[in-house]
Amino acid sequence: MHALSLPTLAVKGARFKKVAHVFDLLRPILGAIVLAFIAYRLYQVLIVQQEYGADTWTRLLISGLIIGGVYALIAIGYTLVYGILFMINFAHGEVMMLGAYAGLFAFQAFNAIQVGGQAQTSFLNAYPVLAILLAFVIGMFISAAIGYFLEKIAYRPLRKAPRLVPLISAIGASIFLQNAAQLLFSPQLREVTNPDILRRGAGWTISINNANVIIPYTGVFTFVLSVLLLIALYIIVRKTRLGRSMRAVALDKKTAALMGVDVDRTISQTFIISGALAGAAGVMWGLHNGMVYFYVGFIPGIKAFTAAVLGGIGNLPGAMLGGLVLGIVESVGPAALGIDFQLKDVLAFVILIIVLTFRPSGLLGEVLAEEKV
Amino acid sequence: MNTSLRKSIRPGATIGIVHIFFVLIGFNMLVAILFARVSGVKQPDAIPAPVYLMAYSITMGIWAGVAAAQKRKQEFRQVAFAGCVAGGFAGIMAGLLEFGLAIILVKNINVRDVLTVLSANFIKGTLFGMQPAMGVMVTVMLFALGGTLGGALVAFWNSTPFQAFLNRGIRFTKDSVQKAQGVTHGKNRLLWQIASISLLALAVVFLPLNWGSYWNYVLGTVGLYVVLGLGLNIAVGLSGQLVLGFIAFFAIGAYSMALLNAPLPYHLMWGFWPALVLGVLLAAVAGLLLGLPLMRLRGDYLAIVTLGFGEIIRILLKSDVLTAYTGGPRGIQNIGGPTIFGRPFVTDVDFMYLIIGAMLLAMFIYSRLQNSRTGRAWLAIREDETVARASGVNTVRYKLLALVIGAAFAGLAGAIFASRNQFTGPEEHSLMASINVLSLIIVGGLGSIPGTIMGAFALKGLPEILREFENYRLLAFGALLVAMMLSKPDGFIPSRRPKFQIPIQPETREAPKEQDHD
Repeated sequence: MHALSLPTLAVKGARFKKVAHVFDLLRPILGAIVLAFIAYRLYQVLIVQQEYGADTWTRLLISGLIIGGVYALIAIGYTLVYGILFMINFAHGEVMMLGAYAGLFAFQAFNAIQVGGQAQTSFLNAYPVLAILLAFVIGMFISAAIGYFLEKIAYRPLRKAPRLVPLISAIGASIFLQNAAQLLFSPQLREVTNPDILRRGAGWTISINNANVIIPYTGVFTFVLSVLLLIALYIIVRKTRLGRSMRAVALDKKTAALMGVDVDRTISQTFIISGALAGAAGVMWGLHNGMVYFYVGFIPGIKAFTAAVLGGIGNLPGAMLGGLVLGIVESVGPAALGIDFQLKDVLAFVILIIVLTFRPSGLLGEVLAEEKV
Repeated sequence: MNTSLRKSIRPGATIGIVHIFFVLIGFNMLVAILFARVSGVKQPDAIPAPVYLMAYSITMGIWAGVAAAQKRKQEFRQVAFAGCVAGGFAGIMAGLLEFGLAIILVKNINVRDVLTVLSANFIKGTLFGMQPAMGVMVTVMLFALGGTLGGALVAFWNSTPFQAFLNRGIRFTKDSVQKAQGVTHGKNRLLWQIASISLLALAVVFLPLNWGSYWNYVLGTVGLYVVLGLGLNIAVGLSGQLVLGFIAFFAIGAYSMALLNAPLPYHLMWGFWPALVLGVLLAAVAGLLLGLPLMRLRGDYLAIVTLGFGEIIRILLKSDVLTAYTGGPRGIQNIGGPTIFGRPFVTDVDFMYLIIGAMLLAMFIYSRLQNSRTGRAWLAIREDETVARASGVNTVRYKLLALVIGAAFAGLAGAIFASRNQFTGPEEHSLMASINVLSLIIVGGLGSIPGTIMGAFALKGLPEILREFENYRLLAFGALLVAMMLSKPDGFIPSRRPKFQIPIQPETREAPKEQDHD
């Protein structure tokens, strides 16, 4: 009976292989089509039409870099958590949104406090550096606290459950936080009060092709701060004891526990760190874009996850690179491909699908423990 | 402080935090309004009478008391005391909040810029219209009272006489059910089945005629969500692949129907049925094309890509680029309905029959698939993909199949939806709709047909009835999703898992039957 069944199985196996691998054969063809399309559009826009001058490209590139820095900060949170728990922390964008609200209210409060003797000025403009620092501390603290409790309430009890369960819990938490913010703070758009030294719209003006290109102060501030935070994070993960235990837990929870790493504590700390980074991103978002409302975290959250996948999930430099690449593509892409600027969100998701199709492990490769891949 | 007291304070503090959150989002007023409704006030004010707010406070106290008294095997008095402590502690937190609110009220600080609900009237209402000190005291007392009540309730529930009474009741019900089964499962089984089916059929035929337009509309929506939910259930419940942007397939069905059938923008004026078939096919093809590149990846990539796909579809439909082709943000109007036996379907009642038909078809296909070889392959993939592959299941093909069939269901629902409403627009297909569908199958119970129906009623039918909750609905969804995952990840009506074991008989050990999935 066994002797009979083996050959039939083998024959059948060969047939499946064909069906299953049709896509593998299609992949290079599809890739060629996509590349050809991109090349054709680029040729059309850059060489034939020459609609935009160098000034426009610089402008787009600058805004792409700025938004990319913010994406990178949020993407780090996704990648850290995914590396350890193999879970998309769907509520991460909402953590960022609450950080943005915290920053908004902090700036509002600083603007309301009056200091100085005769010439009454607000605290915000009298000590702008201190005020900005405090606003960031508040935003990061709030977001870190939310991240911590989120993990404790919604994720920790589900650590041994099937993987769909914590993901759905995360979606629930995301909806909950979004609507809680809407009910608490009303659905209206709120404008952030910037300190005078970081006025929105103001910036250094450079001249390219006789056209003025403004490099906004808020943008430079955002970009520099995100780079600094990313470097700080990298040092934490690479050089400190906490970073070592994080890497150990990401690699293998059981062995890490046997080596004396407190796994629960490390996971909590991971959520705190990623929450703090998301909070900083939120405050920056408010400073640079000026508008905060309850939906502000959702799309950036999804895009940051895209960025994390783009760079290779679990991979810290990958998330940073992915964030920057996504920011630039989203900002420059529509112009370069000659499509409507309304479709920049579409472009981001299309990139995700293309990356997953042709290079599923991302630009710099995934860094994940073996067992669950 | 002894441990018993501390154990009571913890739930008290939790409920206190919940209460503070409720007050800050204005939920306490809503509950009070509901209490007023229930006790017969026709048109309650925005700030209902203090009695109803007191009822809210007692309810919260009872919650705290029940939370503290659970899992305690102690004497009646001790349990009631624990409840009292928990309620009292929650009350103290509530009192502190009200103290703060009173300061805001007296000093006339404007906090509405930050927390929108905290108007002067609202604060006065929360203090029961009393002097602040008095209001705070009453609150603490009411919470403590509620806590004691809750503790006493739990103690009573756990008490031996009540449990004995309960057991007797359960046994009686079981016996009567068995007796009834004896009647229905005996000789007369066929007769009973025919009787019940014909009764159901009669109900299906005649009830929609008596419901009126509004109820047919609401229940029709529920029915379409059942179809949609079953489709998503094939992907999520049966084969375990999380699809987040599921409404995109619904949108493809709806827009196929709209573009082929409506006079504008193309004036194709296809009939309903060809448009329906093409809509279903297009949705299925979209599922195939989307699934193909993703099948070899980890499951949660599928989640995020389908989410992205849903957003792509919505943004494209909404954007100016496609306005000329798909009507842009304004959508497409004047979509026609089918004609059956020379009778044009126009009203919601007509469509109710169509929807019931679609529902029955979906349920039939679903149950046949679930119990087939395909269904078992999906089950194997859901439980452990690696093991399934090792056992000879062609995981890629079956996963794709699940996605395609699910998408086809969604296309069907979408096409009927567009035809019934005579309109479709991009905002109908937002991410929130996808999440609604996902929530309804999870709340009802992943994989089970009764669960899907119950979930559709709960999430699409109830909000129509409880209009006041409109603002809080999504908040409740979110909290419910988390709570469900924490306590009942299988849903309210979980799908019954086939439980059987191959009996091991050492003497007659034969080679097991070949179970390679084609």
